[in-house]
Amino acid sequence: MTPISLNINGNAHTVEVQDRALLADVLRDNLKLTGTHIGCDTSQCGCCTILMNGDAVKSCTVLAVQADGARITTIEGLAKGPDLHPIQVAFSQCHGLQCGFCTPGMIMATAGLLSNTPQPTDAQIHEGLSGNLCRCTGYIHIVESVKQAAKAMQELPV
Amino acid sequence: MNARFTPSRQEDLPLITGQGHFTADHNYPGMLHAYVIRSMHAHARITQLNLDAVRAYPGVRWVATAENLNALGAGTIANPVTVKGKQGEDQIQALMPLLAEDTVRFVGQPIAMVFAVSALGAQDAAELAEIEFEVLEASVDPDKTTLSTAVQLHPNAPRNVSVHFSSGDAEPVNAAFAKAAHTSQLRVLSQRLMGVPMEPRAVVAIHDAATGVTTVHTPHQGILGMRNFLAMASGASPESLKIDANDVGGSFGLRGGAYTEHAALVLAARQFGCAVSWVGSRSEIFLSDWHGRALILNGEIALDAEGGILAIRFKDRVDAGAYNCMMSTFIGTRNLSITMGGVYQVPALYMESEVVYTNTTPVSAYRGAGRPDIAYAIERLVDFAAHEHGFDPIALRRKNFIPENAFPYKTANGSTIDTCLSGKLLDRALELSDYAGFEKRRAQSVSQGKYRGIGLSTFLEASGAGNAPKDQAWGEFNANGFLYVYGVTGPSGQGHSTSFASIIEKALGWPADRVRYEAGNAKHKLLGNGTGGSRSLYGAGSAILAMCHKMLESIKPHASKTLGVDIDRLHFENGVWVADGLSVSTETVVDALASEEKTALNALGEASSGATYPNGCHIAEVEIDPTTGVTDLLHYCAVDDLGQVISPQLDRGQVHGGVVQGWDKRFVNRWCTTTKASC
Repeated sequence: MTPISLNINGNAHTVEVQDRALLADVLRDNLKLTGTHIGCDTSQCGCCTILMNGDAVKSCTVLAVQADGARITTIEGLAKGPDLHPIQVAFSQCHGLQCGFCTPGMIMATAGLLSNTPQPTDAQIHEGLSGNLCRCTGYIHIVESVKQAAKAMQELPV
Repeated sequence: MNARFTPSRQEDLPLITGQGHFTADHNYPGMLHAYVIRSMHAHARITQLNLDAVRAYPGVRWVATAENLNALGAGTIANPVTVKGKQGEDQIQALMPLLAEDTVRFVGQPIAMVFAVSALGAQDAAELAEIEFEVLEASVDPDKTTLSTAVQLHPNAPRNVSVHFSSGDAEPVNAAFAKAAHTSQLRVLSQRLMGVPMEPRAVVAIHDAATGVTTVHTPHQGILGMRNFLAMASGASPESLKIDANDVGGSFGLRGGAYTEHAALVLAARQFGCAVSWVGSRSEIFLSDWHGRALILNGEIALDAEGGILAIRFKDRVDAGAYNCMMSTFIGTRNLSITMGGVYQVPALYMESEVVYTNTTPVSAYRGAGRPDIAYAIERLVDFAAHEHGFDPIALRRKNFIPENAFPYKTANGSTIDTCLSGKLLDRALELSDYAGFEKRRAQSVSQGKYRGIGLSTFLEASGAGNAPKDQAWGEFNANGFLYVYGVTGPSGQGHSTSFASIIEKALGWPADRVRYEAGNAKHKLLGNGTGGSRSLYGAGSAILAMCHKMLESIKPHASKTLGVDIDRLHFENGVWVADGLSVSTETVVDALASEEKTALNALGEASSGATYPNGCHIAEVEIDPTTGVTDLLHYCAVDDLGQVISPQLDRGQVHGGVVQGWDKRFVNRWCTTTKASC
């Protein structure tokens, strides 16, 4: 077991992990942050996407020990109290979710995309979310959600 | 950078904030974790099963084998539908044991289960299993599995046939073909595929020794189906099982009944008195979730000289996989026959289907479960016949549509279709897709070295009448002024809560945001059907509407008192109570009641809805790069008769999702099984 330190959603945590433990499992099992979902074992579905030091990464493809010292944002940390993030608002308003299992990963991938590309084209949205799968929506409302979120984030004061 | 808002669906807030509650999110203290040891062979005899090292591994509490589970009273995977064969003979059944006894018949078939204090520990221990196989010849091709040269999977099923079914009358069909001016035949393959809900199949079971009830958290489509099929598989009584799921990450037909893991976990939880969890990895779920489709549809059509359809017949091959599990018989018999004339007026219809065994994962329901397959086959057949015999494919369709004044229309093999406005739907689809401008667009593509094509399909499906004779809904107000509604149908992304609340708001004048829908509260002992076959909104929704009408009767005396008018003068219209020029809303009336008066307001609604016949016309336009084969879907137009629309945004989402899974089937999703090293 190896002790690691993580800053998760603004809170410092120290956890003992197996060397083989995946960050996704540590977030879910050790820290009870079950909003990060696991939908595959091949790094294809994107349900486990989080922000690690500001970048969107698939937490099932990161060993927990690799994240030692990292700043992590999970879906639980995106909203500030009762105020939801514009991406969360947009996904609901545009009906960008149905069963909701892929949604945390979609939202976090969108957060990563929009931090690097605040006004994405359709092609950039498709590329930015190409690592996230959804079986319910057909993606049309998801793309609309991303566009609305980008617009809302532009209009809000920084 | 944050905003307050009202979610557009009741379901949304937890799901967008990471507060959803899916099965794998349950984490009880002291919970055991299960891992399934599966077959790596398509067909083999187990000659040695030595699990001593697995049992001895640190943290392992139990290793279940077929022998163990049978000793605990386990049953088999349910096969709820059987049919008579064409000669009236009984269907042969090959029921799947929870764990393989001496022979494995598909890759992924469960052989043993390891229960340990950690998930990784269970997996580590499982790797120590010593299993020796005598590998047998495998039969994986549904076309060849009935040949005398194919290996027989089950001793009771000669030629690997479970049943040879027929529907309709062969004689008038044969006569029509004999006199036809034109005939065409076409083989349509609806390939085996995977349903792949995003939430992997998972089970968490916890037993309460005091009550004798085992609570089973698992994604499902309706509590009663899951509970009853789990009772069959586990040997537990239905009354001793409580099915629970807060959130379900997609279902698509796969979540209707219990698998091995459900039953084994119930038995383990009862044995150990603690919670037990199994969460499938995607790789093993590809192998072990019931597969979908796997249908070979051989159609023939007879036309008169003017293109009038005289008869259609099908000879279908239905690959059940290695065992009869869940819905494969229903798909391969009832669902392939009930709408086999499509949207057309066909004087003579006849079909036969053979349900056969192969050494593959068992097949069950997936999105429409045979109905989209036969709809596709009919359209391909009509289109093919038009091209083969020089008819315009649109005109040929239009000539043969069931006339609008013929409904309810009884088909030649006995289905009664309520309505289908094919001509209007076709007109709208042609307009939206600019069908008339296609040749011009094709010429442009050709000038750029590309191929361009346009495909048109009408469809008619029978929605699921359901196994339960009726749907019930129970409504009750709580002291805090929320209307709780309980039903059987379990949502998996369709937005049941939002749509049901919308029905209630309109019918009862009670605000939708003060309605809570819950599927599966056992205390109300409701009858009803699960989610499936596009039936929840009209089936359960009708029961909820009936509940509202009864609830209005309970509220009426209070409204009379609030307005100070005689109850006989009071009536409810447009969401408010009115009498003598006075009016008051249901919300005002109920909110003013004392707590005990509120909680005394309750009503049971029920409805028997049967099947409806959703239909539509879709047109797709694609461009293909002949040098790479890459196909771009340029335009897709879906015109659907949805009946009464409750939530337009949700309907759009449902159609988008369905269309893209259709695209998935055409371009992406194919399960390929071969006895050779390549596919």
